[in-house]
Amino acid sequence: MSGVAGDGTLAPSDFRVAAVAFAERWKSAVSALPPWSWIPRPTHPWLSNEVDGYLALENACLLGSSEEKSVGCCGGSEEPNCSGDDEPVDDATLVQSSRDDVHYYDFHIIYDSSYRVPVLYFRAYCGDGRTLLLNEFEGDLPADSSEALVKSKWTFITQEASHPYLNRPWYKLHPCGTSECIKLLFQSDASIRTTSGAAELYLLSWFSVVGRLVGLGIPYEMMKCENNT
Amino acid sequence: MASDSPNSDRKIVVHLRATGDAPILKQAKFKISGAEKFAKVIDFLCRQLHRETLFVYVNSAFSPNPDELVNDLYENFGFDGKLVVNYACSMAWG
Repeated sequence: MSGVAGDGTLAPSDFRVAAVAFAERWKSAVSALPPWSWIPRPTHPWLSNEVDGYLALENACLLGSSEEKSVGCCGGSEEPNCSGDDEPVDDATLVQSSRDDVHYYDFHIIYDSSYRVPVLYFRAYCGDGRTLLLNEFEGDLPADSSEALVKSKWTFITQEASHPYLNRPWYKLHPCGTSECIKLLFQSDASIRTTSGAAELYLLSWFSVVGRLVGLGIPYEMMKCENNT
Repeated sequence: MASDSPNSDRKIVVHLRATGDAPILKQAKFKISGAEKFAKVIDFLCRQLHRETLFVYVNSAFSPNPDELVNDLYENFGFDGKLVVNYACSMAWG
């Protein structure tokens, strides 16, 4: 296991080790969400064999933190005009719409051989399986990333990204800022970067920044166990 | 790790350290209640530097959740009686 390169990139040979270390820490520190699992890459003769899989966290329900917001956004279409006319049928409609509010997310962490960094791919869908578009799930994202979305819409979350293994359109966070960000993170303590476990730390550090943009911050406990081992 | 006081309401010394192209603050150290959220440190920095967004992270190469308590971060990542918080402006996102 080598350290993290000075330019903030991760060697393809280190991705799997980093991914497995990340998934283990996630499992021990985050109980509210499903665990990450390593998905072996289906054999594609035309793809390079440097990285043989990716990390996946699926069916994550992110309703909890922004409950008020999502209830509000779907309730908007329903007029709260239930003054005098009593129509009991209305109740059923309301229940239905609140069930639709639950948004599920699939997240995949895939190694990008061009940028030599991990990239977060994701898709959102509602309970009935219908895929959600960015403007439908934007409200789930933390306020500061919504702002960033407004400022630079398509450099930030790229919509037309094709999932490299599934060949379906997924959203992804564009990797062009990643190595710069990692460089800064590891710059704060040069000794970390060169220690043997640095690559294991890479995905944790990376996800502490990237995950938050999609509402998946990592608790400090995940970094704490790094210090203890 | 310094005195392991259960009193989360104590004051924590936060040392703000500029990295990359970020301007250096006149007053790099300040005290904040341990019961405050890390978001308050971020807000303070943004106001001081007149920036809407900043890239803020602690040592151990980790950018904490704004919801974390300053006290918890100090307990785990602080040393020499202070919590070192790095900040940079050059990030395109984050």
